[in-house]
Amino acid sequence: MGKQDVINAVKGLPTEKVPWVPYSGVHSAYLIGEPADKFLKDPDLIAKGVIFAAERYKADGIPLLFDLTVEAISMGCEHKWWPDNPPSITGHPLDKKTLAESGIKIPGPGDGRWPVIIEAGKKVKEALPDTALYGILCGPLTLASHLRGVRIFTDVYKNKALAKEIIDFSGEVAGEAARIYAEEIGCDVIAITDPVASQIKPETFREFVTPATQPAIQATKKAGKVSSFFICGDATKCLEEVAQVGTDGFAIDEQLNLPYVRDVALKHGVGFGGNLKLTLALSLGLLSPREDAIVSLAAGGSTGYVFAPG
Amino acid sequence: MVSEERRKEILDNLSEGVVEYEEDRVVEYATAALEEGLDPFDAIMNGLAAGMEIVGDLYDRQEYFVPEILMCADALYKGLDILKPHLKKDSNGAGKPKGQVVIGTVQGDVHDIGKNLIKMMFDVGGFTVHDLGRDVPLEKFAEEQLRTDSEIVALSAMMTTTMMGMKKVIAMIKEKNPDVAIMLGGAPVTKDVAKLFGADGYAESAGNAVQEAIKMIGQLRKLGEEAAQN
Repeated sequence: MGKQDVINAVKGLPTEKVPWVPYSGVHSAYLIGEPADKFLKDPDLIAKGVIFAAERYKADGIPLLFDLTVEAISMGCEHKWWPDNPPSITGHPLDKKTLAESGIKIPGPGDGRWPVIIEAGKKVKEALPDTALYGILCGPLTLASHLRGVRIFTDVYKNKALAKEIIDFSGEVAGEAARIYAEEIGCDVIAITDPVASQIKPETFREFVTPATQPAIQATKKAGKVSSFFICGDATKCLEEVAQVGTDGFAIDEQLNLPYVRDVALKHGVGFGGNLKLTLALSLGLLSPREDAIVSLAAGGSTGYVFAPG
Repeated sequence: MVSEERRKEILDNLSEGVVEYEEDRVVEYATAALEEGLDPFDAIMNGLAAGMEIVGDLYDRQEYFVPEILMCADALYKGLDILKPHLKKDSNGAGKPKGQVVIGTVQGDVHDIGKNLIKMMFDVGGFTVHDLGRDVPLEKFAEEQLRTDSEIVALSAMMTTTMMGMKKVIAMIKEKNPDVAIMLGGAPVTKDVAKLFGADGYAESAGNAVQEAIKMIGQLRKLGEEAAQN
């Protein structure tokens, strides 16, 4: 499939055809008739599901996983598994302890959930040589919210030094995750995924998120791979910051206006992805997915655009 | 009795203290309100809640985001902690609850920032709130509604997948008690989704949730009165 088109589009370059990347996530488990919790703990099932999804949807690129709890669980955060969703983080180790007191360390390839993911990734990589494999990692603010809980959002005002320490540490964890995906598995695109980064002011984004994103960007560059910044929700106000965070491209969700997103991406010479409507079209059928796809493809154009759910 | 001029000064400072998330200022003027004999209900509704309404507008205009909202909520709670214990039970309907609400984040979802903000607005708005917390089993909403005879059930979901559970909750509640008003909120929820699932209301933000709830209760009471007359 169009692996090179994906890589070119993420970098903001023109493509012969617009590449298509379904973010299958635990839908891959559903496709092979397995519950999400069992699927995510078994490298053979992950590989089977992702390969099946890539072939079924004729994907040009596909994520290995779409699960933003990998790093937090690998650091020992309390969590809950679900049969139809990725796990949820239910306990926050830095709620009452400092980083030093907690003893939390950056998880390496042998820690926590990584061995399963690395094994699965190698299998998928071997089976899908012409498909761009995405390594989706948890971005620094979202990871900081896993570690600290909701108080991280008031720490950015009330306790700036603490917020900076936790978010920067989360950025270092993201850097190692990027290295694992890029170097050990060989993923082609590293997606730094920070959904809650849309819930802060652009100034706060610049102050905390932009610097903490750099370790993951550097690790990706060092491995010769391309990077994208994924954001969710209505990120209109901080889209300029997202476009200038330092990744090769970015991706947005269904709440954003694609022509506006395209113009911001073209202005900054970066790629952009989205925004087939996950809720309204794919889940609920309130819009025709086909018509929605046509609208997205018309708006996105063929320079730097990855067609994907949003 | 506090003069009208001083009343306005206290209310403005409570409101601005919330908007500017100045906890000390809120504490100072909430204390002054009590010491100088201002009705605590007046101070809550026309000071603190009025400030939170402005915060809601700032959020809708994307001038405030989650950190600012939470900072404002912290300031508001500082004022509520001082004023609420002094609410008179029966003065001008001040202490009379507007209605009862069962609220929670649906099963599979542990996100509760939005739910807690809505809960706070109901609290401030004079509702009795039964908070089921997060990751609430779907059947628990119907059970709690029946147990408390609440007029409203407010459901929150952050994820598209967990949002699908809302439809089941609505069916369970309406089957047992069709008169209950159900409102939905959360990141993936839209007005169209609320309508499709058979909800009675949709809260786009914490700011409009209480207004929606008051509207829904008004409609319910009207329906009840009409039924009684017939």
